[in-house]
Amino acid sequence: MIASKHILGSFDEALGSLRNNVLMMAGLAERSLDRAIKGLLQRDDNLCTTAIADDEEIDQLEKQIDKDGVDLLIRFQPVASDLRRVISAMKLSPNIERVGDQATNIARRARKLNKHAPLPEIELIVPIQACAMAMFKDAIDAFVREDVELARAVVARDMELDDMNRSANRRLTERMVNDPDQLRGYLNLIFISRCLERVGDHATNIAEDAVYAAAAEDIRHQTVAVST
Amino acid sequence: MVNLIMPAPDPVVLEARERTVEPEPDNESSPLTFEVKNLSIWYGEKRAIDNVTMDIPSNAVTSIIGPSGCGKSTFLRSLNRMHELVPRTRLEGSVRLLGQDLYSASVDPAIVRRRVGMVFQKSNPFPTMSIGENVIIGLRLNGIRDQRFLNERLEESLRMAALWDEVKDDLRKPGTSLSGGQQQRLCIARALAVEPEVVLMDEPCSALDPIATAKIEGLIHELKAKYTIVIVTHNMQQAGRVSDYTAFFYLGRLIEFGTTNKIFSNPTQKQTEDYITGRFG
Repeated sequence: MIASKHILGSFDEALGSLRNNVLMMAGLAERSLDRAIKGLLQRDDNLCTTAIADDEEIDQLEKQIDKDGVDLLIRFQPVASDLRRVISAMKLSPNIERVGDQATNIARRARKLNKHAPLPEIELIVPIQACAMAMFKDAIDAFVREDVELARAVVARDMELDDMNRSANRRLTERMVNDPDQLRGYLNLIFISRCLERVGDHATNIAEDAVYAAAAEDIRHQTVAVST
Repeated sequence: MVNLIMPAPDPVVLEARERTVEPEPDNESSPLTFEVKNLSIWYGEKRAIDNVTMDIPSNAVTSIIGPSGCGKSTFLRSLNRMHELVPRTRLEGSVRLLGQDLYSASVDPAIVRRRVGMVFQKSNPFPTMSIGENVIIGLRLNGIRDQRFLNERLEESLRMAALWDEVKDDLRKPGTSLSGGQQQRLCIARALAVEPEVVLMDEPCSALDPIATAKIEGLIHELKAKYTIVIVTHNMQQAGRVSDYTAFFYLGRLIEFGTTNKIFSNPTQKQTEDYITGRFG
């Protein structure tokens, strides 16, 4: 967090407001994602509808953060860690907005699935959503607490999520071959798994920006050595 | 070329240039740079500069930033021995230009100040002189009498200072008839006329409007191809815009020196970070 007070109190207020909006947006996206998944697992269309409706507020916050960030840059021309905090906040918001979009996509697919008999393969989604949700929460925590180690750990977990998504896709594709009557249902589950995998990608982006904000280090697009 | 300059002054000082031994680099391979080592400067009992060691790269712009009273102007003036004009000044350490110790006993301060020109916070054209005379007065004081050469240097200097097009038809008008920004560029032209190797600037834009400031900043960018420039500024946005390197001074000490990008994006010292982000004191 911000270590000491700025000479201009109005700068601290503006930066604090910007960060609060990012946190509020992240909270809404997390709640929306949670509602969409519960709507799927508990077969509750109302939760799905609420998740879809929440997206509008998330979109408006993204626009507000962009406006506040530009205003802050114009008025105060921040440098060093202040500049990185503003830039990273502005880079976080589109990723959070995309998480909100994924929640909406999941909720829409869930409503379609809820119209038919439950599929046992829905259990494949549970560990994927747990991993994606944890990555998203940790990425936001890392940004708020300027915790570089936590952020790096989030980035490292993305491969695990990708593997889980691939594994679920294989299993669901097999089921589509063996049980073509439920083809649409399996297809919707594949899409939901894919949406959660994308949530992990956005969490990774957020974690990378958290590292930049806290340590001025750009860790994007680094080749990961994989032992075979 | 039309002679637009008044007749040469009394030739009393005209032989000065020939009589004085110019400092030559000890080592011809030395880059055009200042090498400042363990520099401390006192005004009476007060220590203004405290053990500063710093190299200033050639053909680049180096900004010196820091709060009022941190010693940045004293440091700048020590680079051409201008600080010695203040009574009861004492200096320890060394300042080398092109490998030559500027403070060795054999070095004439007047020659140092010709090699290392200076532009001040407030433009200071000589009030009784025309625009043209203001530019070439340094050459005349160095004994140059060749009118054709003086005219050539006049035009060249004014062009380098991005002022020629604005004043070429008014060279006989008083220097003080120009606007503030033009006067400052006239002072830069005056500094350039004697063909220095380095130009020092002490808050050159602090009294100028944004347009005039932009012209000076553009000029600084052009001049660094030919000169090493050291600028003291309170305007950190300006330091970020014009300089390649930035040094942060506090309480007479050099806290941090590095590329401007590094200083303004991720300084290594907390004091630097606190100062540039506005959290000082």
